Amino acid sequence: MNAVIARITLRQLLSRRRTLLLVALSAVVVLVAILRRLSASGADAKFTADLLSTLGVATLMPLVALIFGTGAIGAELEEGTAVYLLAKPIRRWVVVATKLVIAIGCSIALTSLPILLAGILAGGDGSGRLAIGFAVASAIGSALYCAIFVALSLVTSRAFIWGLGYVLVWEGFLAGLFTGTRTLSVREHTLAFAQALANPAANVFKADLPLGTAVVVAAVVAVVAVTIALRRLARIEIAGEVV
Amino acid sequence: MTAATGPSSRAATIEALPPAPVELSGVSRWYGNVVAVNEVSFRLEPGVTGLLGPNGAGKSTLLHLIAGLLAPSAGAVTISGRSAFGDPGVYREIGLVPEREAVYPFLTGREFVEANATLQGLPDPASATQRAIAEVELTDVQDRPLAGYSKGMRQRAKVAAAFVHDPRILLLDEPFNGMDPRQRLHTMGFLRRLAEEGRTILFSSHILEEVERVADQVLVVIAGRLAASGDFRAIRRLMTDRPHTFTLRSSNDRRLAAQLLGEPFVTGVTLEDGLLVARAADFGAFSRAVAARAREADVTLYEVLPTDESLESVFSYLVRG
Repeated sequence: MNAVIARITLRQLLSRRRTLLLVALSAVVVLVAILRRLSASGADAKFTADLLSTLGVATLMPLVALIFGTGAIGAELEEGTAVYLLAKPIRRWVVVATKLVIAIGCSIALTSLPILLAGILAGGDGSGRLAIGFAVASAIGSALYCAIFVALSLVTSRAFIWGLGYVLVWEGFLAGLFTGTRTLSVREHTLAFAQALANPAANVFKADLPLGTAVVVAAVVAVVAVTIALRRLARIEIAGEVV
Repeated sequence: MTAATGPSSRAATIEALPPAPVELSGVSRWYGNVVAVNEVSFRLEPGVTGLLGPNGAGKSTLLHLIAGLLAPSAGAVTISGRSAFGDPGVYREIGLVPEREAVYPFLTGREFVEANATLQGLPDPASATQRAIAEVELTDVQDRPLAGYSKGMRQRAKVAAAFVHDPRILLLDEPFNGMDPRQRLHTMGFLRRLAEEGRTILFSSHILEEVERVADQVLVVIAGRLAASGDFRAIRRLMTDRPHTFTLRSSNDRRLAAQLLGEPFVTGVTLEDGLLVARAADFGAFSRAVAARAREADVTLYEVLPTDESLESVFSYLVRG
């Protein structure tokens, strides 16, 4: 970790206008939980689990990680400010590691905290355990997503589009049609972790992917993504004029 | 850097000398089928060197190769004998001002320069920052965000960030872009001073007057190849296929013209708009002979001006071929 790179990355990620949209989206998850709690239907564990899995894990988590993950290094390479970090006597893996940690931290702050809060506020039987389970699982999921999106931003200048395609098409569409594709879905891994951590009743929430599969695949994906990111940045070139 | 005309003639010299601050040996860089830099060799010694070339000639690619931000497709780029690419340690010796205007808009000028100082691992980044900011005359606006800086102010902040760690080598890509005339003069003087302190400075510019004013030496890149290097006046002397042009004013231009035509190195004389224009194959011989011939013809010389000895003329001859 490098403190200067961390500070610059943090300010860079948080100063963008889209971050305000993410804060608003995080607030929506909490707001829905409050409204449900205040409504005539009252607290219900099933609703809480649905809220956290659909709005929290399936929507908020990938969007936040996509924006922070692709913005941490990709935006700097695109805008041309990366030269101020790379033309320094600092190992490039330090740059990648710092950026990744900051992207993960920002993602957790805007994903896991609202999920925790929404779970507690929505209530229902065992909602505290649900809230903690989903919050911890979403922190792991955010880290996994960020590793993938940071690596993607070092492989292609269209990382945001590819990342969005992965989230919407692969995880949102194909995973619903073909069960095999769920194995390579961060969302499904996260839900498997959430189930293991919260241990809810079967009628409240049940993940589609077995925990063992989720752990192994997530670990492999994380290692591959980080390795790609490290190797890519170590060899990345910054061209002069466009020829 | 010594005057030279082609890479092959320099190869033996390069091998015989100790490592230069910057050395390129047979460097090529291509992107797919496009060759951006082609078989370029030179060594830079302390002093200011101007990098010239038309747009797209490969100037920025060369600077990025030297800065270790691009790997050469062939050949070697070394900084004090170490490979420039893949060795972050070389950045203790290099300061780089990139052409792209992008900076961190949310940082103030002081924060930006201090961040660079800290990333360089300086023991006292704050005082190094103040020194660098004072050199580029940004002290009064150092606490304003870079987003609110004019282009010229941003350029100066980039220059301050590049030399905050007191590098031995300074690489600047179009550093004077956006600066007003006073800032340009100040920055030029600053670069001259850094060079006099023994630093190696390479800067690209498309404004020839800037290069002529600041640089001791020039590198001319055309279509990715090194067309010429050295003192531009020396390069001009080597262009023997281009006659040197002089304008002369005298008490009797016609008589002087007739006298000059008798010289073997004078290739032509014309009288245009009351001015005598002479073309000579040999600059030195003409310069030495003109006064004597005028005396022989009993003509008083008022003025002898070489008209195509400027960097602009040299550059124009090189580019047009």
